[in-house]
Amino acid sequence: GGRDYSPVTMAQRQAIPYTCHVCNIQDGAIAFVENGRIVKLEGNPEHVSTRGRLCAKGNAGMWYTYNPDRVLYPLKRVGARGEGKWKRITWEEALTEVAQRLDAALKEDPNTIMLKWGRDRTGGALIRFMHTLGSDNTMNHTSVCESSKKVGMEPTWGPDIETPDFSKTKYVLNFGSNVLEAAYFHNPLSQRVTEGRIDNHMKIVTFDVRLSNTAGYSDEWIPVFPGTDGAVALAIGHVILRDDLQDSEFINTWTNVTVEELKEHYKSFTPEWAEKISGVPAATIERLAHEFATTKPATVFTYRGPAKHLYGSYNEKACMMLPILTGNVEKAGGYCLPRGMGWPQPNPKPPKPAKHAYANHHYHPLFPLASHGVSHLTPFDIFEGRTKVNVYFTYMDNPVYTNPGAQAVWGRLFKDEKLIPFFVSISTVIGEETAYADIILPDCMFLERWEPESMPNSLWPWLGIRQPIIAPLGETRETRVILRDIIHKLDPDGSRGMKQYWNFKDGEDYMRQHFDNIPGLKDVGGLDFLKKKGVWPIYGKLDPRTGKVVDKTGREIKAEYELYKKELSDSDMMGATIEPNGLIVKNGKAIGIRRNGKNYVGFPTPNRLLNVRVDEWAKYGFNPMPTFKRIPWHETMKDDELVLTTYKFNVHVQSRTASVKWLAEIVHNNPMWINPETAKKIGVKTGDLVRVESKVGYLVTKAYVTEGIHPKAVAIATGCGHWEYGRLATLKLNEKPQFGGTEDPDLKNVWWDDKGVHPNIIIPAIADPIGGSQAWYDTVVRVTKAGPNDKYGDVFGDFQKHLEAYREGLRFTYKGDLHRKMHPEMAHWPGPEQSQDQGHHS
Amino acid sequence: MSEELRVSSIETRGVPGKRRYAMVIDTRRCIGCMACQVACKAEYDTPLGVNRTWVPYKVTGKYPNVKKHFLPRLCNHCDDPPCVRNCPVEATFKVDDGGFVLQRYERCIGCRSCMAACPYNARFMLPSHRTYTPITNVVDKCTFCFHRVTQNLVPACVQTCVGRARVFGDLNDPNSEVSYLVAHNPTQVLRPEQGTKPHVFYIGADRNHTEYGRDVYRRIEVMESERAAWKKHFDL
Repeated sequence: GGRDYSPVTMAQRQAIPYTCHVCNIQDGAIAFVENGRIVKLEGNPEHVSTRGRLCAKGNAGMWYTYNPDRVLYPLKRVGARGEGKWKRITWEEALTEVAQRLDAALKEDPNTIMLKWGRDRTGGALIRFMHTLGSDNTMNHTSVCESSKKVGMEPTWGPDIETPDFSKTKYVLNFGSNVLEAAYFHNPLSQRVTEGRIDNHMKIVTFDVRLSNTAGYSDEWIPVFPGTDGAVALAIGHVILRDDLQDSEFINTWTNVTVEELKEHYKSFTPEWAEKISGVPAATIERLAHEFATTKPATVFTYRGPAKHLYGSYNEKACMMLPILTGNVEKAGGYCLPRGMGWPQPNPKPPKPAKHAYANHHYHPLFPLASHGVSHLTPFDIFEGRTKVNVYFTYMDNPVYTNPGAQAVWGRLFKDEKLIPFFVSISTVIGEETAYADIILPDCMFLERWEPESMPNSLWPWLGIRQPIIAPLGETRETRVILRDIIHKLDPDGSRGMKQYWNFKDGEDYMRQHFDNIPGLKDVGGLDFLKKKGVWPIYGKLDPRTGKVVDKTGREIKAEYELYKKELSDSDMMGATIEPNGLIVKNGKAIGIRRNGKNYVGFPTPNRLLNVRVDEWAKYGFNPMPTFKRIPWHETMKDDELVLTTYKFNVHVQSRTASVKWLAEIVHNNPMWINPETAKKIGVKTGDLVRVESKVGYLVTKAYVTEGIHPKAVAIATGCGHWEYGRLATLKLNEKPQFGGTEDPDLKNVWWDDKGVHPNIIIPAIADPIGGSQAWYDTVVRVTKAGPNDKYGDVFGDFQKHLEAYREGLRFTYKGDLHRKMHPEMAHWPGPEQSQDQGHHS
Repeated sequence: MSEELRVSSIETRGVPGKRRYAMVIDTRRCIGCMACQVACKAEYDTPLGVNRTWVPYKVTGKYPNVKKHFLPRLCNHCDDPPCVRNCPVEATFKVDDGGFVLQRYERCIGCRSCMAACPYNARFMLPSHRTYTPITNVVDKCTFCFHRVTQNLVPACVQTCVGRARVFGDLNDPNSEVSYLVAHNPTQVLRPEQGTKPHVFYIGADRNHTEYGRDVYRRIEVMESERAAWKKHFDL
């Protein structure tokens, strides 16, 4: 790899390394340029995680750049909000208007300037921008992604994700992760799953309501009733502890509980109990527990399956307990901590705003434990007057399509000029959200901009960059330059103290400030090294015969394991004190833990241990120990009711790829998966129209009858059914490109005529009271054969009913009236008045 | 014996003393990620509606014992290619050194005889519109990435294969990975009864799934509307 030639002229194509950003896995890659055009993308063979390969999405990444429907100059709305009428304006006009609106907002309250991003890979530029303005009102998108998984893990071991050592393991219990198609970290981990399964003869068992490609590839697919993975995991734990298969030394040394406490706590989680809830036979649970506990090394992997439910954090925690119980943590072939790298920010840095914003992604008052925010509830905070907005910025986001309630909730919010008086979209295309903007500032695509990168997508930490492969198309500017230009407009002479934080010539200069002084990297050339290689360090060479990275002697490079057992050096211990419980404290900070006479760094938690018992949870009346809560409205489901789940295809991300032609060609529609037994009951076969009705709306789509789904669940994929996002996504190909894009003649070959139906409008916004995650897979629906007046693609969502559903969901928060009812075991909890109002992350 | 004997389980192919390239597709490693299909599209600016390589799938079994199988497909670069025999103008030919079956676009008259002759549906007619490549309205096919292989690179689909299901190399080199894989594993080829001597070898592919062309691999009723749309668009 690393080279490419034109098949027509045989001329060598120019190669430039970069970091992929079609999704968020951040594969190292190389772009090949021919006649000034990016024609081919390939994995960077020197990248330790990517190892020369890219997934389907990554291979198609240049179509983000060459999308004929890209916006290549600033636009101003001329019609009504969302009407689709635009006027081309100059950057000067755009920046002047934005600065004026910001000025007015700053006079009232900086926190009335809100910025919500979908994906922020700017390496800190967005936060710097908001802090420069003095606003704390920033929001991520994580609550519609995997936040309850993160919150389920963080208090226990520190980081928010695991790195399963798939290539070295012998046994995998995979709870609801579709790693072979999507999720963290699709390409690097898929490589290691196949290596493990074929070269290392591992067994993989997947729990999922649907036969995903991962489930289809697994040795066993175990269908579970939606949201009950946690019960199965607890029952597996029960068997392990009952039959004394746990790693007692590990538990007693490295966790904050004892084996005896755990044995007592797990007593009630019997396989029979879990069978009743999950539908997984008790005998299967017994067998899997024994296989998992007696095969070493073994690991667990989870993703959204367990987490995206009311009480998803409990589910995640229950799954995470299995590698802890069996001592598989940080072992070769086990369940490892993520390995990442950081970089410094350019100086000076703006101070953190003094005043908290209500909806900030770190501390929502009703969700004090949701350290990754509850941004999908933000519209309701605005509707109900708890958050005031004067200027709304959006960056790489599209909640009108991607969030629960979709157009019925977010569309209504953005249409309302009283609630959102001024709406600025930093965007590359007009998606469902940007369609409501007042001003569109045209951003660069990832192949045209500078960004710092690192991602724990293998067991070797690395730093990487994105760099412009070609000059930005049209008048587009890269994000950090747009933000700088806004600030410079606001504070041209620096007298307001803002300009000092935006002191760089261009993207490259900013990157130098990140990268030129990192020890080790500095010695090999700093940013110049990264410009040439794309990634640092280079751990070795790719052996084409095995696909593995090898050292100078041709041996496979080894990862470091048991990071928590790294011993503190004498200089580390200088001036440190050891507390009676073994905690090693230096300058008021815990730096390690003493165990068996040795001073270890321990886990990256405040007490340097694995916290099986999470005391912060108990403060808010949640069970601090591993537990499971059934979703109340699943317990009362009627016979003709089903649970709607959603999923991602291997060739699509959430909302951005429907306009990528090679991916859209492979998947452009999303019929609803339904089990033959269920389909028979309602009298539908594949291709028939069905009406899917939830308590907040309905949609009409096609059925796909398949053996690969639980009889009590139906599944509709996201990624299809766009009503904005350009002509290809909406199949309006008779129109012409409007905003400076160059037409692709190949679009004349688009042969498909079905764009699918997007389900989010019928899914209510419910948040996990602990992790804050959207409960994507909890929606109860009734599916019937479509009536004579139902048309394919009909969707309807009732705003009032969405609002009611949202309020109903809040009853489960720690201040809600159902919280105590759901937690009889926490009767001793004094109540919300005694809890602090701020989460531990503030 | 100190060294394992690596004798191919198949009959000797190609021209003795010359290279004979082949691809081994280990279906046990294929996760159906479609990276190969997209990488190929990029490498050749292949238009929509046609593919040099593609990955059909099949779901088998009854709930809850269900499996999903993928069968990556491409030109088999046959030793005895019916497309070459059937081309009236010698536009399609076999390269002696390497065994590539290639197409001379300037000779092709677009009669589609080769497409009809190919038992694998591996050839297609290029439509009139392409993004930047001027070659249109002639028959095209997988070239085993002739332009890369002759530069000592593997084909684009192999380069990007996430599961390393696709392996490429010289079958006449006893030290190549393809020789090793073919010698050490039971392999299958598609439609052996056609006598074409394919040079794409599968490991772990079920005979019941490999005997047919493209269409049977997906459930008919799912594909029906897709096929209709495709035929309607290209006016077939």
